[in-house]
Amino acid sequence: MKKWFQSGSPWVWLSAGGVSLSLISVLGLLWLIASRGLSYFWPAELYQFDLTDEKGIHSVVIGEIYDRESIPVSQLSHLNLKLKPNQETLERLLIKTGNRELVSLDFRWLLSTHINKTSTPDDLVVIERRSDGNFYGFIESVILEGKNVGIEQLEHLLNRVEAFQDKIDTLQKVDIGAINYQLERLRLKTRKLKLNNKLTEQAQNSINDEITEYKNQYNILEKELMGFRDEISRDQLVMKAMDGQIVTINFEHILNVTFNNQLNLLNKIQLFFSQIGGFFVDDPREANTEGGVFPAIFGTVLMVLLMTVIVSPFGVVAAIYLHEYAGKNALTKLLRIAVINLAGVPSIVYGVFGLGFFVYMVGGSLDQLFYPETLPSPTFGTPGVLWSSITLAILTLPVVIVSTEEGLSRIPSSMRHGSLALGATKAETLWRIILPIASPAIMTGIILAIARAAGEVAPLMLVGVVKMAPNLPLDGNFPFLHLDRKFMHLGFHIYDVGFQSPNVEAARPLVYATALLLVSIIVALNMTAVSIRNRLREKYKMLEH
Amino acid sequence: MISVTPKALSGNENSIDLNNLSPEQKALEIKNLNLFYGGKQALHNISMSIPKGQVTAFIGPSGCGKSTLLRCINRMNDLVDICKITGEINLQGENIYEKHVDVAQLRRKVGMVFQRPNPFPKTIFENVVYGLRITGENNRRVLEEAAERSLKSAALWKEVKDRLHESALGLSGGQQQRLVIARAIAIQPEVLLLDEPTSALDPISTLTIEELIYDLKKQFTVVIVTHNMQQAARVSDQTAFMYMGELIEYSDTNTLFTMPLKKKTEDYITGRYG
Repeated sequence: MKKWFQSGSPWVWLSAGGVSLSLISVLGLLWLIASRGLSYFWPAELYQFDLTDEKGIHSVVIGEIYDRESIPVSQLSHLNLKLKPNQETLERLLIKTGNRELVSLDFRWLLSTHINKTSTPDDLVVIERRSDGNFYGFIESVILEGKNVGIEQLEHLLNRVEAFQDKIDTLQKVDIGAINYQLERLRLKTRKLKLNNKLTEQAQNSINDEITEYKNQYNILEKELMGFRDEISRDQLVMKAMDGQIVTINFEHILNVTFNNQLNLLNKIQLFFSQIGGFFVDDPREANTEGGVFPAIFGTVLMVLLMTVIVSPFGVVAAIYLHEYAGKNALTKLLRIAVINLAGVPSIVYGVFGLGFFVYMVGGSLDQLFYPETLPSPTFGTPGVLWSSITLAILTLPVVIVSTEEGLSRIPSSMRHGSLALGATKAETLWRIILPIASPAIMTGIILAIARAAGEVAPLMLVGVVKMAPNLPLDGNFPFLHLDRKFMHLGFHIYDVGFQSPNVEAARPLVYATALLLVSIIVALNMTAVSIRNRLREKYKMLEH
Repeated sequence: MISVTPKALSGNENSIDLNNLSPEQKALEIKNLNLFYGGKQALHNISMSIPKGQVTAFIGPSGCGKSTLLRCINRMNDLVDICKITGEINLQGENIYEKHVDVAQLRRKVGMVFQRPNPFPKTIFENVVYGLRITGENNRRVLEEAAERSLKSAALWKEVKDRLHESALGLSGGQQQRLVIARAIAIQPEVLLLDEPTSALDPISTLTIEELIYDLKKQFTVVIVTHNMQQAARVSDQTAFMYMGELIEYSDTNTLFTMPLKKKTEDYITGRYG
């Protein structure tokens, strides 16, 4: 036994155990969110349940099986159930029944004893809609311009509506959006001239001319838009719900209609990937509980990239100063300790600081100086993507400083001396020799900064993230990148969908899917940075002295 | 450039009187140089003249101050905060420790090669032209010519001419040291300081470098620090023996090794300590 301890193998086992434990927990975490998240996109089987309750009343329930659990019988004693002797638990199913306009709840629990018959009728469909969630039922008829036509027209009508919907989206977001942007610009121009007392009659007239011009364009576009709206609301789909009720759904609300029970494996895989694709590129619907997360992906990536652009030069410059120029005295030591301690400040504190200092003080002063015409509504004096990036840049600054300094101190002095002996000044040596050799270490700092910043939510809630941003921070209107705009963020999206949405149960798979996406994006950003670092390392690898 | 009688293979026929050099013959003149590291004095009142176009060796036991003295000549000791220097070193009649002297400019005139090869993690070509790039030279043709000339002078051209744009870190230790020498001479210094240039190399590379040093003195004044007495005897025209921060004896190499004047020198070269 003593020998075994002396051999050192217990410590090898201990460290191997530690490594495997962390590996297992990471893999387990990924497996959990991946399986829960991805199953959301898999087309589920649609069931029809024939029920008889304890009072002998018959009913039919249609929907997807969402969850199953067994509950102790004692909890159900009040229901007077027919049970086998000695039966202690009973299975119950959670069914997603949709049809929110008929019943206010999307979900329903069914006790297994109530179920007489379970079937999967082939003609059962699920309709994904723009509002009111899914609809489950049977197709009664398709109505084209008031006339009853066959079901074979369904596909054609769906495509037609989709094409019009795309046109409407472009018209609203791009064309009408641009006109609104210009009108706002003209309003501010007028106001600015008025503030400066330079609003001559001539200027006013030319602005008015422009406004009239834009308003005319707007009217034309609006007419076009109305035309499209009429077109898509032309046709209807008549459905029979589970209780036999007939419901007419206008095609303009329908996204797609699927006969889930008729799909073979290949169709299901196709549908699975097209759903995932939709999740990436679509905008959210229904208070974020449905649809895609594109604005959140965009916001997260843009914010992290801006943060990286801001933090890298500052961190590197600070590290160079601390390591190369600052005297080796108590003050420098104190500074270094302060920098390291900054990394330990809770992130929400940075959020409060960002709100107080950047948003209100800096942003408020910028507004006073450069945007007086928009006041009292603020431009930069309100949370936005710029302030979020800067706040996170400060949050991650210590990480970059520490790892850059680490890299600088690892460079052998022979490199410096070699360069200095050739007549280079200290600055030239830094720029041409030291920084390139230290670049892998700088990249390590940036990688750590990205990993920390991309997952941070708390400070962002104070300095720029919102539940639903009307515009992306990047669009076709000059100056294209609108740093003052608020943005959506995947981390906040998870919190919002999971805990703030009106229908938490329905949104749960979306939480897992979004979590998986957030992890993948952080991993992707990190892998990019790691591959850049490895290339730099290869290029500037040092001699093993 | 003054013409120098090549050292005869049989014995040295050195006609220069070290104590009485004419200004044209002097490459460097060290006058009453004292150096302190904090409170500790590392060099004591050193005065000597180093003749142009010759190889001068500093020998002595470890810690005797020979490397420190060498580093004074291109002011590398400036990098040590606690280092204080009094006295003068005159290069071309000007004291390099005057306040107005541009250290970078000085180091371009006094090149230095270190104990261990320290090529930069760049290509062979970029290593050689580094000093030129610092001076702002970016003309491709000028750089290429300079690289070829320096690599030829450093006897490395034949080995690397086909892989100029590969990393310098792929070269062997001996090749790296010659590359570093090529890098130092690419900017055409007046004086070349070699700080134990072969101590990290194998015997064959050492021999190559020694032959190179012999050739280099046709163009440059060479000052070499070595702990290897045979090496000093082989390559140098003058030898200075230092002990405990003092210059004990300085004369032409032949005299120093065959008829040393001081007892300490004799003890050292006969191997009684060191």
